[in-house]
Amino acid sequence: MKKLLVALFVLCATIQVQAQDKVQLDRARAEGKASFYANITAVEPIMKAFAADTGVKGEYTRISTSKFVATAITEFEAGKLLADVVQAPLPVLELLKEKGVLAAYRSPAAAGYPDWSRKDDYIQLFGIEYVGLIYNKERVKPADVPKRYEDLTLPKWKDKIVMANPSNHATTISWLIGLKENVFKTDTEWRAFLQGLAANKPMFVASFGPTPAPVESGEKLIAISMPKYIVTKAPAPLDWARLSQPLMGTPRAIAVTSKAPHPAAARAFIDYWLSKKSMEILARDVGEYVLAPGIYPPIDGIAGAKVIAIRELSDDEIKKWGAEFKKIFEMN
Amino acid sequence: MDPARARLTWLLIAIVGALTVCPVLMLVLGSFSEGLTAFGHFTTDKYVQAYTDPAFLEVIYNTAVFVLGTSLLSTLLALFLAYLNTRTDIPFKFLFKVISIIPMMIPHLLFAVSWALLLNPSNGLINLGLKEAFGLGNAPLNIYSLWGMILVEGLLELPIAYLIIAPAMASFDVALEESSRVCGAGTWRTLIRVTLPVLRPAILAAFTLGMVRSLASFAVPSMIGMPGRVNVLATYLYEMIATGFATDYGKAAAVGMSVLVASVTLIVIYRALTAESERFVTISSRGFRPSVIQLGKARMPLFGLVGLLSFTLIVLPVAVLLYTSLVPYSMVPSARAFAMMDLRHWIGVLGDPISLLALKNSLFLAVVGATLGVILSIFVAYVIVKVKTRAAGMLESLSYLSFSFPGIVIGIGFMWFFVQTPLYATIWALLLGYIATYLPYGIRPMSSAFIQIHSHLEESSLVCGASPLTTMRRIIVPLLIPGIVSGWILMASMFVRELTLSVVLSRPGTEVLAVQILRFAEDGLWGKLSALGIVMIAISTTLVVVATLVGNRFKVA
Repeated sequence: MKKLLVALFVLCATIQVQAQDKVQLDRARAEGKASFYANITAVEPIMKAFAADTGVKGEYTRISTSKFVATAITEFEAGKLLADVVQAPLPVLELLKEKGVLAAYRSPAAAGYPDWSRKDDYIQLFGIEYVGLIYNKERVKPADVPKRYEDLTLPKWKDKIVMANPSNHATTISWLIGLKENVFKTDTEWRAFLQGLAANKPMFVASFGPTPAPVESGEKLIAISMPKYIVTKAPAPLDWARLSQPLMGTPRAIAVTSKAPHPAAARAFIDYWLSKKSMEILARDVGEYVLAPGIYPPIDGIAGAKVIAIRELSDDEIKKWGAEFKKIFEMN
Repeated sequence: MDPARARLTWLLIAIVGALTVCPVLMLVLGSFSEGLTAFGHFTTDKYVQAYTDPAFLEVIYNTAVFVLGTSLLSTLLALFLAYLNTRTDIPFKFLFKVISIIPMMIPHLLFAVSWALLLNPSNGLINLGLKEAFGLGNAPLNIYSLWGMILVEGLLELPIAYLIIAPAMASFDVALEESSRVCGAGTWRTLIRVTLPVLRPAILAAFTLGMVRSLASFAVPSMIGMPGRVNVLATYLYEMIATGFATDYGKAAAVGMSVLVASVTLIVIYRALTAESERFVTISSRGFRPSVIQLGKARMPLFGLVGLLSFTLIVLPVAVLLYTSLVPYSMVPSARAFAMMDLRHWIGVLGDPISLLALKNSLFLAVVGATLGVILSIFVAYVIVKVKTRAAGMLESLSYLSFSFPGIVIGIGFMWFFVQTPLYATIWALLLGYIATYLPYGIRPMSSAFIQIHSHLEESSLVCGASPLTTMRRIIVPLLIPGIVSGWILMASMFVRELTLSVVLSRPGTEVLAVQILRFAEDGLWGKLSALGIVMIAISTTLVVVATLVGNRFKVA
């Protein structure tokens, strides 16, 4: 009898949830579209799938990280924020939360995600912008591929490395700090690594985007970059160095906005975004490292890699360390 | 002053002022405001922080060398090409003219990348060729340097300089040169003592515009300066903006103010140097015909030289783009690379609905924007050149306001402004922003052309009873056709590849080509980027050819 009551309760609850979902989806359809401001790229397949599966149009606006806060706050303060959902690195969404731009919403679709991915009721983490060493597999012999980060300081890599500018590229700055806090045992070891890397005169580019091209063409042999390019730049001869140390990256976050022009569509979108189907598309088509359990990008060996989220650095820390790295890399 | 001219001047000041002052005013507010938007408590901290950085001095030095070198190179090359094109019997002139303005049609980002592929010290194609040919151990040339930046930026500024100098050169009165020769001077001496001094306004206009543009340029400092660790003002600003997540555009605007002051100073100097513009008038009511100098034996060698120059400096980078659009990933040319060529990037781009929408929007903005911009430019240039009052000077300075601001910052000024209006997130915001920012592209060639037209022509028409509008339509405009065509081409080509405003103001439905290209660049998708870049060049070339043909038809009529 007790079991029957429990089953009946579960059935009722399920029916109620489904009814609520249907009501929300009907509202979203009535609103017509969900506007999505994001710094993540190549998400058109998800937008298409969202429209096909829900009947709600997903409208994607790509905004670079450096313009994200300025754009969102300017529009918000003028009462013209067009975004229903925002996606950016965690520190950006933290800043927007402080300004009252975000609304609280806990998506049921994130139920299986790790606990640490739910920062609070406002922000949900769904991926890690993972950084690794990618190299030209036609030009670097297997024996020469780095086994540890320290190998980048070997003289054989002089003038052979490309990386985003460590004096201003926030993710690279965070990554270098991540090495200090998660990989190297002492500050001295970490600084020796920095000095060694700087002595190898890496070529600087503005962000991760331009890092693979010099490696593909052979202008450089190795990049401090993102393994996802192995997927997006196929059939380029790229591979990633399987290090004995962890891979690290800044967390990717998503939230709904407090004055969303289409609030029901916003919730429907975020639920869809965090669903298994979307995360599979993101991993498969874009090579992203996602936090939905059991889903990995189609990169050999990545499922077994240890990937950790870097501590969230404040803006002041990023500026301070950027200036410090500038000195170290310019002196060499 | 004639009341009609005064009314026209003030009307134009109101229109141009509304277009250009608002975004700059928002940036001024932002530079004095606490926080991240244009409105906050008053502070001077951003100026103090920006100008007390010890690295700033080196940045200023690099910037000065970069800007002067770029303008000098582009002006000299433009003079050389314009002289040969407009004044000599060098063969294949039409083709020559199109080739000389191709760099303007290529997105600067792509142009810089092409040169990096040719001249990078590791495996740049020219370096590989030189190493092979001379048995060198190290690459002899390194594009990632200050000279590399000057070379590439100089080529990018070349079309602007050319389109300002060529119309003035075309309107040159042969009698002056003939007089010089009659007095015993040779061709070279005539060129130095007569031709160049008479062309002084156009040369200075080209030089000034080149300086202002290279001050505001970002693509070359970013793609070539940054890997070579050569910091100029644009990359210094980028560093300021890119470091951290809460970007303080107010602080960047504070640095931008010095660029603005430098630009306005340059304009004032330019006005002072060309104040006696009557001296440069060459088309008067006394008869005018352009002359063609017979090159004789030098004809083919000079054509060969220019052909080689054009090939090395322009055709080669475009060929690199075509190549990059066909190989599956960045590869050094080889038998294997050619065997792997396919159309995947082209199919990806032409099958992408956003790229197609961007194409449509960019074409609309180019044609409608350039037409409106040129109409406004004709009136503004007329006032600047023919109504020499303080108000006219003010109008000229106003027309440069948004243009002089570093591109990386001015877009935010426009966003801060348009968000206060119903135009925000519409195609009209882009259209107005484009015209406001690139108005000097229309005004400069028109001013150079106006300077060449003597007021006797206008006065004769008025004396014969024609109204000022009829005089403008029947007398002035037909003589201005080369300037109008130049201005239209400059504006339309600029609008096709405009990035700095578009990247901030473009929203779903108002995507434009350059923003699509930037997306591909950010993702490192050079193949797609090159394919779309070639589409962009094709559109610009079509616009240039159509504008030239239309211009020729009116000239004949």
